[in-house]
Amino acid sequence: MAAYEVMYIVNPNLEEENVNAVVERFNNLIADQGGKVEEVDLWGKRRLAYEINKFKEGYYVVVNFQGDAKVVNELQRVMKISDDVIRFLLLSKEDK
Amino acid sequence: MKRKGRRPRKRVCSFCVDKVEAIDYKDIGRLRKYITERGKIIPRRISGNCAKHQRQLTVAIKRARNIALLPFTAE
Repeated sequence: MAAYEVMYIVNPNLEEENVNAVVERFNNLIADQGGKVEEVDLWGKRRLAYEINKFKEGYYVVVNFQGDAKVVNELQRVMKISDDVIRFLLLSKEDK
Repeated sequence: MKRKGRRPRKRVCSFCVDKVEAIDYKDIGRLRKYITERGKIIPRRISGNCAKHQRQLTVAIKRARNIALLPFTAE
């Protein structure tokens, strides 16, 4: 298991509770794949530095987790498909 | 003997001064000091950073750009 950090931007048109539901869903996904969520940091709504798909702002979420390649692959696959996530950045902690 | 031009200022790497181990892309306040108004990365010869930290800095800025924390261009 290795440490990873994922930062993602959730669609700003969602209600606060739906944002929490989205975050919850991804945390469960990490757990289901055998990973371990260590820290969840909600930055709240922020202006984007530039427009992404016509969105000017978004909810930033940072999650630190432990896991292996399986977790990362699945998380990446689902985030790419999900319409609620407008952008994500997944990093291995060792790269820093 | 008179030297021509400006005497180079003493170059200090502010990351070395603060003993920063790894530059974090989430530390936007800090990264902002190393980009121009147009969003370009300030070169080492201007900022005075050491090579090690400048390398880390460019990676951090590029990551921050990717996740829309910093702009690729402005105006």
